[in-house]
Amino acid sequence: MGDVILTMKDIDKSFPGVHALDHVNFEVKRGEVHALMGENGAGKSTLMKVLTGIYTKDSGSITFEGKEVEFHNTREAQDAGIVIVHQELNMLGHLTVAQNIFIGREFKKGIRIDDKKMNEEAAKLFEKLHIDIDPAETMSNLTVGKQQMCEIAKAISHEAKVIIFDEPSAALTEAEIEELFKIIRDLRQQQLGIVYISHRMDEIKVITDRVTVMRDGGYVGTLITDECTKDDIINMMVGRVIYEDPKTESAVPKDAPVVLKVEHLNAGKMVQDVSFELRKGEILGFSGLMGAGRTETARAIFGADPKTSGDIYIDGKKVEINNPQDAVKCGIGYLSEDRKRFGIVVQKSVAENSTMASMENFVKGLFINKSKENKVAQEYVDSLATKTPGVDQLVVNLSGGNQQKVVIAKWLIRNCDILIFDEPTRGIDVGAKNEIYKLMNRLAEEGKSIIMISSEMTEILRMSDRIIVMCEGRKTGEIDISEASQEIIMNMATREI
Amino acid sequence: MSKAVVNAPAEKKKSMFSKSGNQKLIVLLVVIFLFIFFSIFSENFRRYTTVLSIMDYSYYIALMAIGVTFPLITGGVDLSIGTGLICYSLAGGYLVVHCGWPTWAGMLVSVLFGVLIGLLNGALVSIMSLPPFLATLCTCMITRGLGSICAKSFGISWPTTGSEGSWFRDIFKITIGDTKYPLGLLWVLLLVMFMAFVLNHTKIGRYTIAIGSNKEATILSGINVKFYHIMAYVISGFFAGLASIAYSAVFSTVQPGTGAGFELEAIGGAIIGGVSASGGAGSVGGSLLGVFVICLLKTGLPYIGLQANWQQIITGMVLIGAVMVDILKKKRAAAV
Amino acid sequence: MEKIKQNPIVKKIGINRIVLCGVLVLMYAIFSMLSDKFVGVQRIMSALNYAYFLGFLSLGVTFVIATGGIDFSIGPVMFCSALISGYCLTSYGVPLAASLLISVLVGFLFGVFNGYFVAYWTVPPFIISMASMNIAKGLASVFTKTQSVSWPQSADANGWYRSFVKAGNFPVGLVILLVFAVICSIVLNQTKAGRYILSLGSNKEAVRLSGVNVKKWEMLAYIICGILVGIAAIFYVAAYTTVQPGYGDTYNNEAIAGCVMGGTSMAGGLASISGTIIGVFIIALLQEGILALGFSKDYQLIITGIIVIVAVYADVVTRRRKN
Repeated sequence: MGDVILTMKDIDKSFPGVHALDHVNFEVKRGEVHALMGENGAGKSTLMKVLTGIYTKDSGSITFEGKEVEFHNTREAQDAGIVIVHQELNMLGHLTVAQNIFIGREFKKGIRIDDKKMNEEAAKLFEKLHIDIDPAETMSNLTVGKQQMCEIAKAISHEAKVIIFDEPSAALTEAEIEELFKIIRDLRQQQLGIVYISHRMDEIKVITDRVTVMRDGGYVGTLITDECTKDDIINMMVGRVIYEDPKTESAVPKDAPVVLKVEHLNAGKMVQDVSFELRKGEILGFSGLMGAGRTETARAIFGADPKTSGDIYIDGKKVEINNPQDAVKCGIGYLSEDRKRFGIVVQKSVAENSTMASMENFVKGLFINKSKENKVAQEYVDSLATKTPGVDQLVVNLSGGNQQKVVIAKWLIRNCDILIFDEPTRGIDVGAKNEIYKLMNRLAEEGKSIIMISSEMTEILRMSDRIIVMCEGRKTGEIDISEASQEIIMNMATREI
Repeated sequence: MSKAVVNAPAEKKKSMFSKSGNQKLIVLLVVIFLFIFFSIFSENFRRYTTVLSIMDYSYYIALMAIGVTFPLITGGVDLSIGTGLICYSLAGGYLVVHCGWPTWAGMLVSVLFGVLIGLLNGALVSIMSLPPFLATLCTCMITRGLGSICAKSFGISWPTTGSEGSWFRDIFKITIGDTKYPLGLLWVLLLVMFMAFVLNHTKIGRYTIAIGSNKEATILSGINVKFYHIMAYVISGFFAGLASIAYSAVFSTVQPGTGAGFELEAIGGAIIGGVSASGGAGSVGGSLLGVFVICLLKTGLPYIGLQANWQQIITGMVLIGAVMVDILKKKRAAAV
Repeated sequence: MEKIKQNPIVKKIGINRIVLCGVLVLMYAIFSMLSDKFVGVQRIMSALNYAYFLGFLSLGVTFVIATGGIDFSIGPVMFCSALISGYCLTSYGVPLAASLLISVLVGFLFGVFNGYFVAYWTVPPFIISMASMNIAKGLASVFTKTQSVSWPQSADANGWYRSFVKAGNFPVGLVILLVFAVICSIVLNQTKAGRYILSLGSNKEAVRLSGVNVKKWEMLAYIICGILVGIAAIFYVAAYTTVQPGYGDTYNNEAIAGCVMGGTSMAGGLASISGTIIGVFIIALLQEGILALGFSKDYQLIITGIIVIVAVYADVVTRRRKN
């Protein structure tokens, strides 16, 4: 490990309503792999976006190679030698692999772009990284894992001095992760500074030299990986007692009736032969890594995406679900992971969003009965303790947790008995999370049946009565909460098939 | 790692199938089919003069189509090219006919006017973030008004064959001995080759595709997206300017208030030729072939006893059909 | 300024609409000052004649824009309706009442056509607009054999339809237009259809995932537009009697201008019927003023184009600031 190449000191950043970074410190040395850890929403990605110029910091300083710097866009950061491999892929599907890697700095022969040389250079790059991809292939024809590899190759080709990997392994298979680690060790050898953002404890122990932990936008501390245990890191990450309080046994009686039965569901690549049962009053956790096919399964059940084959039974009766309308008629409600895109209509009021799925009940003759609509919406604002100045408030002005409650109200007003929560607490403040958990438990006690998809292990272990684990579009495990542990689930989630 | 490589050859094969080459071939077959079809049903259609007149009709549409391919690939559209063409022709022609400017200067003004309106379109779309169809619908109306004002609401007659300054007509149709040759075809083909080069092998083309493919990612790659986005519309305007010269040369007389509907023929041609209505994909050569489909319909229908206006209806239908094919193709690709 | 904005009455009516009304009054004052020909009932009646059919076009396209779509085939479709029904009346001897129905029917069919492809095939609205614009022109030309059509004059036996526009000097058309505006406003704000049209304009996927048949409602917006365009055709011929095939596209921009000036957002989800009506009056007055000042229609095209650009840009900026 060499000298310090990058120091971030006292970084502060606020967004309207959120203090995203609260005086965070972070440093990287040459030839070091430095893990940046924390729960979802802890501020890791925000910190890296401040570093690479996507966000401007409110205060604090960034020192790179001894000089204080401030980047205004990713290009400036790249030119200085700091590159980021994004979690969400930034590829141009219509262009080839080589064209993607060299976008913005094409080799030229006169005014002509030298595609041949770009292909050769890309091939050399891949060879160096021991990746086998044809540089002339069109990007959209590659698998997600390979696209990720191209992103990494692109980052490396920038003659970077610091490379940031933002959850690079999330979409990769075990073999690909091995490959990735080989590349990272290589880069470390070449005295590059590497920031590695990940959730996965096992990876951290294998690949990193130091760990910096963040929590709720604040800096918690930095440890040397070899000198600490997993529990040390977890304690720093979690920091709250409530998170370490998993359910010990299922609250659902063994003979509770099956309300939803899915048999041999297939939909595209991401959902292959998925079967399971959901009982009345149960919270069924769906665990797995990013891209395991959980959301796709939920969407296929809900009819949001077409399914190729498979049967769905509600209360023992076979039903045909071809679109969301059918699903809602069957009493299924879906709460998307991306509320702004799929859950709420931001420019409409709380009342209008609440009654969106059940207009029929609010129409008198030709017209909407607005007083009834407001009355019912108000009832649910009260019972769910939604914080809003009034039911005529536009939902765009509500916080994430309260928006989620509006979506819950929408399905409760529609009288849905089966609720699918997809990442129910993503983008929601820590305090509000707890409230959503309580609400979900209350709903289950009242006899609603819940499917909960979550990437947060603590959430899965805390909430579920039973857990289904998925990996690469297949169901790879099903366990009762009394037998579940983080290790067992992780094992299933990364199992080779 | 070996595991990840297994699929590579299979993937490649699939991509070869869905590439635009396939569509170009189909469109070429359609062109040939239409030609044979009309030839069988009409004796008059088989004449050399008919071929010449098809060519005459095709130049200005083809030139517009080459240009509009670029905004279409960025995921936008340029609706101002049709009325723009008339406007540029009127402005240039007015200077030649009424102000005694030499023909070449008038032609230059036409092209520069086109570039200017292209610049305006680009600024509206790229800098002011207006929806492209709306911004260019407005410039469509503006150029319509401007053209009419330029020509003081009268028609303009560019120099006709035989009169002084009519040399420019020979650019498109040259008479050697007793035979007329469609020389314009040569220029159109050269321009298609050149613009295909620009699209596939220069930065402008590369970034045009990148913007249409994923604008956000292109910005994140540190590319001056605003500039290249504007360039796409400038190219479209420039070619509308060239098209106006072709129009002046072929038809001589230009009437203000016309030109609406030309853009459909050019855009329709481009989309039939494989440009995706949602951006990212397309080829200049394909656009040219698509234009020939439309021109054949336009000139051919009267020969089989249908009113010329049927062409408008059929073009509209064919456009929708082409977009539906594009949508189906994308659906199938997503399902695989 | 802030104080004025907070005033409850101002808030109720909306600052935009108050400003628009101000613009309307100001324009009238300026035109009256610039041209002595401008004052008098004659000009106002003439401006109103223009406002009627444009008003119906604008009302129609408001529904489409509310879904986040666009329809710039409305002008040619209006002409197509007027030509086909007029040709039926004059050349095939179809009774007048039936001809008027045919006009609405043609508009309706184009609405179905546009809506079907946009909603069920996800064809981009601007492509469909381009296609149906040309189909409408072509169809009208083919049907009328490229002849213009003259509807009956007031004195003719079949002239009673012209009293839709005015009876004596009473502007009947204004009353009808305002009644339709009220109906449209009720449909948009008080019914399930309007609720879904506005919501899907704001976030289509969220509405779909609420179990709503978004395709049906999106198509309905285009159908409503089509019917209103058919009615616009009736008011066009009632005001001007003669229609020529091959034209009509200049009205697209004017109708859209009325709509976006009135505060309907091109991004969808936000629409104001009263704003649209005031916007239409501004456009109609502008057209009359330009003619009164001795300028040609061409200036009108340019000014309308600029108005749309400015209005839409204002909308873009407001939305950007909100985010």
